[in-house]
Amino acid sequence: MTQQLRRVRVAAICIALAGGYLIVAAQIGSAPAYAGGAVAGARAARVLNATDTAHLHYVSASGSLLLDEGKASGALPGSMRVHLNLGTTFTGSFTISTSGGSITGRGSATPHGSGAYESFAGTLTVTGGTGRYTRARGHGKLYGTFNRSNYSLVIKTTGSLTY
Amino acid sequence: MRSSSRTAGPLLGVLTVVLTALCLSAAARADPSVSLGASFSPDRLGARTTIGLSFRIGAPPGQVPPALTQAEVRYPPNLGIALSGLGLAVCAPSTLDAAGASGCPANSLMGRGKAVAELRFGAQTVTESAAISIARAPDQEGHIALLLYVSGPSPVNTQILSPAQLLPAGGAFGGRLNIEVPLVASVPGAPDLAIVQLSVTLGPKGLTYFEQVGRQTLAYQPNGILLPKQCPRGGFPFAGTFTFLDGSRARARSVVPCHRRLRGLRRG
Repeated sequence: MTQQLRRVRVAAICIALAGGYLIVAAQIGSAPAYAGGAVAGARAARVLNATDTAHLHYVSASGSLLLDEGKASGALPGSMRVHLNLGTTFTGSFTISTSGGSITGRGSATPHGSGAYESFAGTLTVTGGTGRYTRARGHGKLYGTFNRSNYSLVIKTTGSLTY
Repeated sequence: MRSSSRTAGPLLGVLTVVLTALCLSAAARADPSVSLGASFSPDRLGARTTIGLSFRIGAPPGQVPPALTQAEVRYPPNLGIALSGLGLAVCAPSTLDAAGASGCPANSLMGRGKAVAELRFGAQTVTESAAISIARAPDQEGHIALLLYVSGPSPVNTQILSPAQLLPAGGAFGGRLNIEVPLVASVPGAPDLAIVQLSVTLGPKGLTYFEQVGRQTLAYQPNGILLPKQCPRGGFPFAGTFTFLDGSRARARSVVPCHRRLRGLRRG
């Protein structure tokens, strides 16, 4: 009887622990998640693993400098504005405006491919933001295509954002 | 002391002879000189343009310069080559080789030009002119590649393919156009053909592109290289480095100046 009770208690503890683990795991798995060991009451840094796609259209150009803007969808939906220097390497800065604030950064990519579409791949760095993203920092990869006829861009970004 | 001055005399004599010989040899093989030219047409800030590049290779009177093997022209930053609408198609080297520029897709042509070469027939210097077509080629190692098809009918029937690439450049420049110049044999026993002048345009001037709209094919002129709205301080710089078969090198610079009426737009 005592042994049966002990087994029931152990089983109950196991179930409780497993349940707790699942809840914690679910919280970690959801985005945004809290960075490990955040102290209650202090502003915890959030880490967001984001993948976004932006479809941008031509706004203006001067020399090799191109300004495009358009909609971004994915983990950070909103609008995106890109200043791009289309040299032998593509370099530029971007701003993603979301309902919670804006995220700014810069990136560089190597173009390749021939013909009407130029594809490119490179890296990006998030340098700051406004609103919820004032302390935004992060890095990731970017790739996409540049339409040489109408100067539109499709940019896919993937990476981690801490804010 | 006496013995050392006895040995120093002949040594000095030998040194003098060697130095004189070296000087005479250097004078006889004077390095070629190069002048570089650059232009925009139209030359208007913020406008679409055709870039003109030219160089002239000089040699001492009565001599033909050594054969050019590489020309590298660095161009200013902020030239909208990627926004030019030029080179929307590519032309394979094999197509150019077999059929010339007329065999390439019209939308692959990016410019034209001409070259003048010299060759020696005995004591006589003969000049040959050749037409140049510039076509977009498949990218090479991630860099925009071009092909210069040079065709000269006489006195030496010449068709050569000269590969070129747009490569990154540091400092005050936005990129560099690197042209590999293959050696062209002239006549048996004579030196290779030596290019003495070359001028090319990179832009829409003289080009017609085609676009399929529904069932119709529409002809149009490509946009051209977009100039910035502001003029860089000191104008638009170009710089060339030219390498010759004998190992010598020559450098030249050129600037497309800012117009006085546009100085108010100059970047501080």
